[in-house]
Amino acid sequence: MRLTRFILIISLLLISVSSFAHVGSPGVIYQGKAGPYTIMVNITPPDVIPGTANASVYIDNQQVDHVLIQPVYWYAGDKGSPKSDEALPVKGTPGQYQCVVWLMQRGVASMRITVDGPLGKGSAIIPVMAVSTAQRKMPASLDWQLAGLGLLLVVLMITIIGASVSDGVIAPGSDVKASKRKKYIAMGVTSIILFLILYGGSAWWNAWSSKYRRFMYKPPLAHTSILMNGKQMVLQLNIDSAWLRKNDESMSYIVPDHGKLMHLFLIREKTDDVFAHLHPLRKDSIDYLAPLPDLPSGRYLVFGDIVRWNGFAETISDTVDIPAKPIAQNVSNSNQVVYSDPDDTYVISNSIADNKNPYTGKEVLICGKPGTEMKLADGSTATWQHAANTPFEANKIYPLTFSIKDPSGNPAKLQPYMGMMGHAVIMKDDGSVYIHLHPVGSYSMASQEIILNRINGNGKAPKLPDPTAFRDSIDRLTAHIKSMSEDERNAYLNANMKGMAMPGMNKDHMDGMVTFPYAFPSPGNYRIWVQMKRDGKILNSAFDAVVQ
Amino acid sequence: MDAAIYINKDIDAKQQKAVTTERAIQPYVYASVFSSLCIIVGLNWDISWHTSIGRDGLLAPPHDVIYLGAILAGLFSAYQILHTTFFGTDIEKQSSVKFWGVFYGPIGAMFCVWGAIAMLTSAPFDDWWHNTYGLDVVILSPPHTLLAMGMMMIQFGAMVAVLSSSHAAKSGSKAMHNWLFVIASGLLLSSIYGLFSEYLNKARSHSSICYIVGGILFPLFLIAVARAAKMRWSATATAGVYMFVAAAMVWILPLFPATPRLGPVLNHFDHYQPFHFPLLLALPALGIDWVFIKFENQKAYIKVILASLLFLLIFFIVQWNFGGFLHTSPLARNWFFGSYSWYFGANPDWPYRYAFYPDYIDTGFTLVKGMSIAAILAVLSGFVGYKWGGWMKRVQR
Repeated sequence: MRLTRFILIISLLLISVSSFAHVGSPGVIYQGKAGPYTIMVNITPPDVIPGTANASVYIDNQQVDHVLIQPVYWYAGDKGSPKSDEALPVKGTPGQYQCVVWLMQRGVASMRITVDGPLGKGSAIIPVMAVSTAQRKMPASLDWQLAGLGLLLVVLMITIIGASVSDGVIAPGSDVKASKRKKYIAMGVTSIILFLILYGGSAWWNAWSSKYRRFMYKPPLAHTSILMNGKQMVLQLNIDSAWLRKNDESMSYIVPDHGKLMHLFLIREKTDDVFAHLHPLRKDSIDYLAPLPDLPSGRYLVFGDIVRWNGFAETISDTVDIPAKPIAQNVSNSNQVVYSDPDDTYVISNSIADNKNPYTGKEVLICGKPGTEMKLADGSTATWQHAANTPFEANKIYPLTFSIKDPSGNPAKLQPYMGMMGHAVIMKDDGSVYIHLHPVGSYSMASQEIILNRINGNGKAPKLPDPTAFRDSIDRLTAHIKSMSEDERNAYLNANMKGMAMPGMNKDHMDGMVTFPYAFPSPGNYRIWVQMKRDGKILNSAFDAVVQ
Repeated sequence: MDAAIYINKDIDAKQQKAVTTERAIQPYVYASVFSSLCIIVGLNWDISWHTSIGRDGLLAPPHDVIYLGAILAGLFSAYQILHTTFFGTDIEKQSSVKFWGVFYGPIGAMFCVWGAIAMLTSAPFDDWWHNTYGLDVVILSPPHTLLAMGMMMIQFGAMVAVLSSSHAAKSGSKAMHNWLFVIASGLLLSSIYGLFSEYLNKARSHSSICYIVGGILFPLFLIAVARAAKMRWSATATAGVYMFVAAAMVWILPLFPATPRLGPVLNHFDHYQPFHFPLLLALPALGIDWVFIKFENQKAYIKVILASLLFLLIFFIVQWNFGGFLHTSPLARNWFFGSYSWYFGANPDWPYRYAFYPDYIDTGFTLVKGMSIAAILAVLSGFVGYKWGGWMKRVQR
């Protein structure tokens, strides 16, 4: 048991090292419009900054003349961005264009895709978080190769210096014998100097490496716990203030994404059979509270997605043990009533290992598989439009399409859920991959909006606002959004995302189909939770996929 | 000194012919000097590339020129060593040093081979470095330092190759040797400037650090050259070569288009931004040559002290004024002096683009103290240079 806990903590620590708005799924996918053109973009950001991103642009059945890609950083704006690079057509794949884009500094970046063709010019902005996440070791073969060459250089230099002061200064053919003593002294001194150079070089290398590690991306650490507010269990996510101080960060600069400050996902560890999507309330700058729905006890993986004021999107990872019975601990500020968010939801399904229902008395979904229909809580059905028994390939983009039919078998009339026609969460069974997707792709739409505002602004980078004033203004905004009627809220969220013309925003979504473009990053077993809305109710479905 | 006195008396006529053949300038000598030129042109171009374009790859054009230098020097020198080892006559072997019990080769070729191996070693090392710690944003990193050491070792190898070749030269090739030595020295001087340009550029010309660094580097190198060369005014000519190469790069590179390819771009332009206009080093170098000619028969330490101090004095007077002109005068912001040159990522409206940053202006006691330190270091550097020059003068193989 101890070992299991230890392994879990270590694996979560490892996961957290590389998480920013995802865990272990760094690829950024965009599905949408660039002016009159419908495009899909797949960006593989570098895992070391400065580095290069690979960008592929797919254009379906439309003639275009040029596809240009420009890296635009939030702090530099578009006026401070270098010239675009032309993405070149990929031979043998009509409609695909490819380009390497340089990201030289850490921070919030984006790719501006400009498509030029007979229909005119159009562009799209896709946020990319430019952070270093990789720690590489030198491969043994290169290690040996460099060590061998290094040894050769050392020996050759000692030889050269030894020869320089002995044979080298003796005239050709002369009978004079070179001074061996001089030669050995010179060789000894050279050896000492070379040793000092190598020692200094090694110290320099170590210092460089530790500086790199210091500036690697480190997601905020948090402590999640369960408190009691009367008879109600409340989840408290407390951001580690020591981490904030150490990284010179503040949690006061969080902005809402889809109208919520944090999208918190709870997934029961190992079995993946319980999934909850909550929207905690900010109690103070570092504490978030969310009333827990009636979740089965056990250890849960916690993923909290947040976006900062400069568009930096990241995921806070932790675990929490949800007890079976109420515990004797109270919320520190017991005067505060914590209301759940109307968009909070959860679903219980079968374990990822089998189709059994371990929760007697509870409604349990049996997860769907590609090509088969699954029953949902309200009698409607969901089908993953992918050929049955056809495994997915890692790192290949798939349109993950789900069709929903109402209980009478007709395509369901779907409504926006937090402004989108669907939300999906994908997790690998070992927890090493987690991502929150929308039909527009795998990027944060709040980040996109922030970068667009920066580009359309006065050209100057906004100054860091006063933390308290900023936090208060955001709290007022989220409270205001929460107080809206559902229609008002959807209209508000829609207006904030206007001009993006994305498929997820289509209000006349009568065909009951939702598509999430995604490329599974590695082989393994994945579970996908899809969330939509019909008849004012949130519809949760879950599917399993095998990726090879 | 006549090379003939070194030849053993018992060698036969055939071997005599071999000696005669050997006295011609060997191809590796020309190749190493040409490699040194490639290296310095590539280096200047690379600095301009990073100022103007920003991003590069392993095989970016300036790198290609630098690697061409490495390959040429390495191949010609390795050929010289292997040929002497396996096919060389006794005389040829006698004109080389034997090492590792098997090989025979001239010292200059050995330096060049070392430099080429170091440069080529730095390539996979640098590639791994980029993948591990990020693409270049700095000039000096461990793999770049190895590359710089390799480059300078080839350039130094070229100087030694010319010197050892000149000791056994036919009288007709003396002038050629002299000029090759001055050119090779001037090219290495250009690298030395490039490596320490952060302290020697126009923006630092009113601060004592410029003269302290200059005092350490230049007497050492120029006195060594003055002593080793078999030509009068060689320090001046060496400085002249450095000035010509640097100035030519300032004049030629901006003729070609270049736009920034990395963000943020704060300074927009469409042609190369040149590297620095050269220091007017030929003037203080004249002082060194003059002392060595005027006081030829004086004791070494008198020559060294006089030459070092005179160098520093002229360097200070000339560069303080000329650096001030380059940095602040609108008359320097043209194609000839290239003072307009500005990194694309730097704010073009920075108030100190054409004015001295207050921290970089030394006056009064600070200046006197700085120059006193510079004088002491220049003299010490001069002594090391004199000793080094003495060794170069004696290199025979």
